[in-house]
Amino acid sequence: MSTPTGTAAKRKTPHRHTGADEAKVRRRSPTRVNPALYLFPLPAVAVIAFFLVMPTLQAFQYAITDWNGFSAAFNYVGLDNFVRAFTSDSLFINAMTNNLKFMLLVVIAQTAFSLILALLLTKNSRGSILLRALFFFPTILSSVSVAFIWKFIYDPNFGLANSVLGSVGLEALQGSYLGNNAQALYWVAVTQVWFHAGQMMVVYIAGLQSIPRELYEAAEMDGAGRWQQFKSITWPFVAPATAIVVAYTTVQSFKAFDLILGIAGNPPKQSLDILSTRIYSTFANSEFGYAAAQSIIFMAMIALVTWLQRRLLRLTPKGE
Amino acid sequence: MSQISRRQAMAVLGALGLGATAAACAGPGGSTTPGGATGPAAPATGDITGKVSFAHWRGEDKAVFDELIKRFAAMHDGVEVAQDISTSNDYNAQALQKLRGGSIGDAFATFRGAQFKNFTEAGIYTDLKGSKAVSNYEDSLLSAGKSGDNVLGLPYQVVFPMPMANVDLFDKAGADLAPKDWDSFLAMCEKLASSGVVPISWPGGDVGNGGQLFNCMIANNGPVDDMCAQIEQGKLKVTDDWFIKMLNQYKDLVPFLQPNATGTAVEPAQNLFSQGKAAMLATGSYHIAAVRGLGAQFPIELVFPNTSDGNAKYEGVYNATFILGVNSASKNQAAAAAWIDFLSEPENAAYYANETAQHVSVKDVEYTNPDLKRLSPWLEKKTALAARFQFLNLDVRNAVEASATAVISGTSPEQAAEAAQKIVDERL
Amino acid sequence: MLASISRRAILGIYAIIIIVPLTVVGFGSFKSTQELFAGPFSLPQSLSPANYAEVIGGQDLGTSFWNSVIVTAISVPLTLFLASLAGYAVSRLKGFVSWAIFGFLVLGMAIPAQANMVPLYVLFGRLGLLDNLAGLVLANVVSTLPIAVFILGGFMRTLPKELYEASSIDGSGPWKTYASIALPLSAPSIAAAAIFLFVIHWNELLYPLLFIQSPGNRTLPLALLSFQGEFQTNYPLLFAGVILASLPVVVAYVFLQRYFVAGITAGASKG
Repeated sequence: MSTPTGTAAKRKTPHRHTGADEAKVRRRSPTRVNPALYLFPLPAVAVIAFFLVMPTLQAFQYAITDWNGFSAAFNYVGLDNFVRAFTSDSLFINAMTNNLKFMLLVVIAQTAFSLILALLLTKNSRGSILLRALFFFPTILSSVSVAFIWKFIYDPNFGLANSVLGSVGLEALQGSYLGNNAQALYWVAVTQVWFHAGQMMVVYIAGLQSIPRELYEAAEMDGAGRWQQFKSITWPFVAPATAIVVAYTTVQSFKAFDLILGIAGNPPKQSLDILSTRIYSTFANSEFGYAAAQSIIFMAMIALVTWLQRRLLRLTPKGE
Repeated sequence: MSQISRRQAMAVLGALGLGATAAACAGPGGSTTPGGATGPAAPATGDITGKVSFAHWRGEDKAVFDELIKRFAAMHDGVEVAQDISTSNDYNAQALQKLRGGSIGDAFATFRGAQFKNFTEAGIYTDLKGSKAVSNYEDSLLSAGKSGDNVLGLPYQVVFPMPMANVDLFDKAGADLAPKDWDSFLAMCEKLASSGVVPISWPGGDVGNGGQLFNCMIANNGPVDDMCAQIEQGKLKVTDDWFIKMLNQYKDLVPFLQPNATGTAVEPAQNLFSQGKAAMLATGSYHIAAVRGLGAQFPIELVFPNTSDGNAKYEGVYNATFILGVNSASKNQAAAAAWIDFLSEPENAAYYANETAQHVSVKDVEYTNPDLKRLSPWLEKKTALAARFQFLNLDVRNAVEASATAVISGTSPEQAAEAAQKIVDERL
Repeated sequence: MLASISRRAILGIYAIIIIVPLTVVGFGSFKSTQELFAGPFSLPQSLSPANYAEVIGGQDLGTSFWNSVIVTAISVPLTLFLASLAGYAVSRLKGFVSWAIFGFLVLGMAIPAQANMVPLYVLFGRLGLLDNLAGLVLANVVSTLPIAVFILGGFMRTLPKELYEASSIDGSGPWKTYASIALPLSAPSIAAAAIFLFVIHWNELLYPLLFIQSPGNRTLPLALLSFQGEFQTNYPLLFAGVILASLPVVVAYVFLQRYFVAGITAGASKG
């Protein structure tokens, strides 16, 4: 735990080593750190300590109570809330399963698709630049806007998707999209990819453009095919970009709260419930203690998934 | 700047740390609401002046309330009522947290059931037992707003959460508007279908509205009147025969719903009905004004999906909702109470009813709106109080209602019931 | 040849999947519900601004618009200011102290907003920060400060130390060095962060949903979400709302496209 006091106490130590007589050195040496500098990060540290670190720590305190958010009285219930979440709350387990499924779908689809787009648009031609700008566009819209647009696309009676299918004679493919519980999550995943693939494409383009052309030329001389070139040059070179894309997409898929609420309403039905919406429903149901416990599990899951991904990609960057 | 020594900087940091620790001690609990412990008190009296915030969820009634506010303001100098409107889903989920502080919702409305109960427990209602308004209401309709002896809220609206029917289409198909049992209900749907229209337009993609049909389906199937409360308490199970029978009846409806019904939102469902493509809209009488707004010209009746085999206990369902109250945390209770009194006067209630095409539970109201007139006989029929509002836990309610939606999208009734029962069991 | 055809096919189809829905939204915002349902692709019969008028007037979208402007206009510069101060200190301090401050500040990136929403809600309630714009500004600052420190601090660390030292020799205090050297040199990084923050703050939904009570204090995304309730799946109205809510960002995107791409990508890469 690092509170401001903790940091401040530690702060002293390195300077103790620098010299016995600090005061004298201070004026003379230009490399000497001006103590006023310590005030610079203060506002930021205070804000983070009060409104981010402290509430997060408090979440642990709430999580072991059954507080309903409005009464004066509450009981400490130990780890009951955590036990409940994992053993006897199928809505929570359902939300967690949905969330993991959604994450896998989006991470795989979005990473692959944005890489394909990037490969097709690596060259800085006029057309490429125009298309990049177009593909990037959805990223700047708000989640609620995107949700509304896609709600209309998926509307089974008057919506775009079924209209298009009907007009080209593919009535057989018409569906109820979000109304079909077995598929609803997939359709929201499609929306999520539409929303953010352009952004991830840009990350990939930057990676692709840094690959020296000579490598491909050399490979071609050796008679390597396109797939060979991709496997031995492109993929290793864009590995850092992949790490970024995967990490960012993962976090986004856990935070798809806005998109789900916009597209599925509040509260969303079971087939579209993810962890963040479930936590919000628990909160709205006046179960503050239990909601806090769910939040902690949520936070731990993001950390765990991120860590696992890094291991899998063998790309754990050296700590900042 | 450079005068500040590191020691001073440390002192500031230390103070911040202390502050943080102090604040951290203020954990859960503590923030109580006035009135909660000692039981509700009557709203404070005083001058009827100043600002009143009126919180509710009926966005479509905004203009009507604005007119009533104007009339109210004309009677009392310096009084100003502002409407704070959320949509019904948000209101259901958030009103409690928002009104507790008293910064909005001096006067407010709640849904019957879970929300009313939570508001009661949080001590947000004041006691209106002795108020002028109470005597204006039909006594039998007041129960939804009572807690023990106290009259905490006044259920303002009477709505019929039953399918609305396009009488023209029924006549054309020769279909019976008042089927005596389930077979004749299905026969009626069959007739409508063979006349080339969708028999029932149902917004299955919208939990709130799609669930109204549940009220009708369960009314005569339930072994007791408080079946939903008993389901929630574990005394009845959705895996019981009577519930499975009801789910099977839902299954019977599938061929008569519009295609992809489980994904249909409210507006498209209303459109199918108002454009004459569907003979019924399975939401409720509270949608009449909306449907008229979409251009429906035909006469509208209500149809009760009679699930019985001929000896139905109930001929329909109704709901007394929009439970008006005065906020115990309000700083202007006198004016808020006066506003509630004002709304409860027959003349003003009549204006509200006729303009919004909704019945009210206020006595001696004359209905002049043609739709209301036509539907007024329903006020005299033997109708059941809408059962879904007995649920106090929204997770339970959603799970139980979702079993019906699951059946419509192809799950077997037994499986759907089991899935729902699991969630209910976890919340006992 | 085949590759070229499939390249065009993929790009073309995806371009259509982006353009068509946006066009339908644009056209639809001028239609009545019946007109939209009758033919979503057709041109609107008239360019009547009725939907826009209803959205702005009836739903107080005008107020929400200003609320969003106010919140964003304060929270973006404030976040940048606090982050640049901290980033500057981190770039000048040495060793463990620098590492500890930086680590403490960017640690927050690992905390998702939903993780502490219950305690934050209670805390804001006790501080009187519920249902006002100041609370939203604060929440925005808190939630994005870590990433802003990460972007700005990371950049400032790469600035040549000699510049700072030269300034110190001139006798300038740290404040002056910050304002006259660190800030101007970090302009590209600040611009990128500003755009990243602008998009996030403008589109923020969770905090308004949690904290805002009165309709008069709603920001645009919340107002937009509030449209959809029991009676308001009125698509043309929603579309008009979507267009109004997106307008400032879209206009900014058209003119500052390159910075947008750089800024949002920087945010993504660092986040």
